[in-house]
Amino acid sequence: MLPILSLIVLIPLIFAALTLLTKTKEQARSLALVATVSVLLLTVYMYFNFDSSIADNQFEELVQWVPSLGITYHLGVDGISMPLILLNAIVLPLLVLFTWNDDRKSPNKFYALILATEGAVIGVFTALDFFLFYVFWELTLIPLFFMVSIWGGPNKHHASIKFFIYTHVASLVMLLGIFGLYFAAWENTGTPTLDIPILIAQFQFIESGIAKDMIFLALLFGFIVKIPSFPFHSWLPDAYTEAPTAGSVLFVMLKIGGYGLFKIMLPMLPFTASPNLMITIMAVLGSVSILYGAFLALSQKDLKKMVAYSSVSHMGYVTLGAAGIVSLSVSGAMFQQFSHGLIMSIMFMSCGIINNATGTRIINDLGGLAQKMPKLAVIMVVTFMASLGLPGLSGFIAEVSVLAGAFVSLPAYVIIALLAIVITAAYHLWALQRAMFGVYNEKLGTVADINSYQTISMGIIVILILYFGLNPSPVLDMMLTNSEHITSLMAVMGV
Amino acid sequence: MDLMLLAPEITLAITGLAVLLIGLFIPTDSKKILGYLASLGVIVSLFLTVSSLGTQATVFNDTVSIDALSQFFKIVFLVVALLFTISGIKYTEGNSHTEEFFTLGIFATIGMMFVASANDLMVLFVAFELASLATYALAGFEKKNPKSLEAAMKYFIIGSLSAALMLLGISYVYGATGTTSIPGIAANAGLLVSSPMGLVAVVLLIAGFGFKIALVPFHMWAPDTYQGAPSVVSALLAAGSKKMGIVAALKIFVVALIALKAEWQIAFAILAVITMTYGNIVALNQTSVKRMLAYSSLAQAGYITMAFVVLTPMALGGGIFYALSHGFMKAGAFIATAAVAYMVLSENKDSNDPDHIDNFRGLGRRMPVTALCLTVFVFALAGIPLTAGYMSKFILFSSTIQAGFVWLAVIAILNSAISLYYYAKIVKYMYFLPTDSEKISEPLPYTIAMVIAVIGVLVIGFWSEPFVYWAMEAAKVLIPGGF
Repeated sequence: MLPILSLIVLIPLIFAALTLLTKTKEQARSLALVATVSVLLLTVYMYFNFDSSIADNQFEELVQWVPSLGITYHLGVDGISMPLILLNAIVLPLLVLFTWNDDRKSPNKFYALILATEGAVIGVFTALDFFLFYVFWELTLIPLFFMVSIWGGPNKHHASIKFFIYTHVASLVMLLGIFGLYFAAWENTGTPTLDIPILIAQFQFIESGIAKDMIFLALLFGFIVKIPSFPFHSWLPDAYTEAPTAGSVLFVMLKIGGYGLFKIMLPMLPFTASPNLMITIMAVLGSVSILYGAFLALSQKDLKKMVAYSSVSHMGYVTLGAAGIVSLSVSGAMFQQFSHGLIMSIMFMSCGIINNATGTRIINDLGGLAQKMPKLAVIMVVTFMASLGLPGLSGFIAEVSVLAGAFVSLPAYVIIALLAIVITAAYHLWALQRAMFGVYNEKLGTVADINSYQTISMGIIVILILYFGLNPSPVLDMMLTNSEHITSLMAVMGV
Repeated sequence: MDLMLLAPEITLAITGLAVLLIGLFIPTDSKKILGYLASLGVIVSLFLTVSSLGTQATVFNDTVSIDALSQFFKIVFLVVALLFTISGIKYTEGNSHTEEFFTLGIFATIGMMFVASANDLMVLFVAFELASLATYALAGFEKKNPKSLEAAMKYFIIGSLSAALMLLGISYVYGATGTTSIPGIAANAGLLVSSPMGLVAVVLLIAGFGFKIALVPFHMWAPDTYQGAPSVVSALLAAGSKKMGIVAALKIFVVALIALKAEWQIAFAILAVITMTYGNIVALNQTSVKRMLAYSSLAQAGYITMAFVVLTPMALGGGIFYALSHGFMKAGAFIATAAVAYMVLSENKDSNDPDHIDNFRGLGRRMPVTALCLTVFVFALAGIPLTAGYMSKFILFSSTIQAGFVWLAVIAILNSAISLYYYAKIVKYMYFLPTDSEKISEPLPYTIAMVIAVIGVLVIGFWSEPFVYWAMEAAKVLIPGGF
């Protein structure tokens, strides 16, 4: 059989190297399009051959790598990773289309970095060996670091270094947790292995409760910094805002923190020494992120910064949903990752377009843009509505499942989160009204509407937001299978 | 006695003497051939060593032993020597003392190789001095450059002092146990433990080796010497000579003086922590890239020293593996600075500090291959995955946790995070800061040496199994049955 997972990881990485060698923008963007579309085709093929009724890893590939340390090359997908791979595979070709006509320095490096990020992110989603997982995890850092520091805004050096150091330290803490798990299991079984499913299964046999909690918290720290969750979110607004538009979209595609929560943290959670404490930690972080992010978004003057803080708020639903540990909230949180990826890509694309067209992103300096940019206005209105959770669009399904599901287990935290709903609606509508509607601000001069490449790429994503809002089952089914599998474990343990 | 067992050393010795003799009779412009000859000799010797991996024997009345440990370190030294001779071809271009440069380098390598095989403290000390004397002379190779002379002078004085301390320590060990044979000392260790001489010997030996490995507070010479010596020689010092200190310390402490573990283990723990923290923090603020690499070399020595604290087979294997990776990474990085210095000096002969970080501005455009290689080296030194540096840290740090020294691993990992800052600074200068200078053609020998080192760094990082296996075999020589 075709090693399809290796292909979707390696094609972008190999094409990234090839793209680096190209001389012109035309060659670079065509190679990038070829690579991303091939990944999309392979992913679609995989999606249709994926059995969403079982929670096991599928399309597995296993090769010994460093046997004396138990390192293997082990790939696989399940219902947690499949939708996220799909998300990346769909958005990345559209991102290449979106940037099709842009003029920027060194386009070869630009597209190479986009492809390298895609390969690394899909690598994280498919890796079933902690060594490989960590390699890809760190690999996502490097292209994004360069993306921000080469093409970023005025404050790019500060933002890129902050992002790098912040998340690198978090990964090192996570690595400590991985080591702890590795050796504890090695001691118990007598053979070294870094295989993720085996180590997760071995976690419960660790004798010392303190060791279990330390391992869990170390891993959790690595993941929540990447999500990011309050109080470790401060790298995000800087990095998202300073990044070029494509970089911001790539950041949005970086759903590896939340993925870690579902894939690694939740199956381990019931076996920690104090599961209720862990749930409380996650619930507090999640609900505070929702509320705090929303308040910060409300107070922003810069449209892109507002979107960045709204991202903190939205990702809070992921943490809260995971902490809810009922099937509805967990699958809702997984769906939130998927839906948030689609919505936020458009939000950042819109910010980039407005900035290019008018030269500013300060909301009060804009005004009445809908008159000059009708196509953008339509797309933005739909996306903003999806982002604030209007029924019939994908954001609603995710957030309502999280809140309804978590209300059963964590009512107090859900009430905190509910407070944020009003604020969320407020900052979205207020920003939209000030920037896009009202009287046109003549100081902005003449502005042109989005070009056809941008229309197509954003249009497709908007259609997907609508489609998954009305019919989420193509991805929600597999998420449900896995979240039921995870939560049944909790029930057995009486958590 | 089978002389074939010593074939790598004999080959090198013949090469060294041949280079010296031929150099006397040929004119300066054709001395390039000496570099090729030296490189060939090193390659043959490397080939002989690799093909005899797994041999187990002793020669010269059990004073020299050929085993996995010695073979592994010999490979490290020969690889560094190869990078040294290849890049030396360019460095010595047009220099009338070319033959001395290569002969000294080769003799230093022979000394290091005998340290790796030494099974007796006298052999170890003599070989140690052979390597040290040759490198003292090499550090001062640029006779007209006051910085190079200062480097050589400091290195020589401190090196002699450390040799004296070491010899004094050895004499105490000999006085208490009545033998200089390393296994013999281990067998009679009871005599040392019961006598206060044991403690004196440990203190003297730690100080002696502390100087050679450049552990804080015995490090003062290292930044000046690495900065002042020619970059190619700094590569040999940091990547080769320092590893010689480590293998000698492994033999003396872990094999001979294991019975005194309680005395030296905690000392090494403190030295490791101080060294890595001091090295990384001071490196943050350096404007000379060579000096920054010197401090980073301190930090790396601090990491390797952790193996002396943890003392499990995996940690020792990790430390030995680290020595191999570090050989490639650090030698490569210093050779890259040699290439940059060549570039700077070819533009402006009077340039005072060719290793200043401002000269690295826009290197990505001016010398693309050098910049790319240096990027790989510094990322490997920082421990970015899929490089030899990451694999080394992975094994060494994880074994530290395994043995229960979580605090030590946490300090090491935090240090590793700090170090990323100054390594990334070099990359930033090379790729992000603009320059108006023109692209220049890169000197071929430096490029070849760097590409070899890059291949080494990536192959070890990617296809680690055989290297890990041999490092673990080498660790088994140190502690046959484990603890």
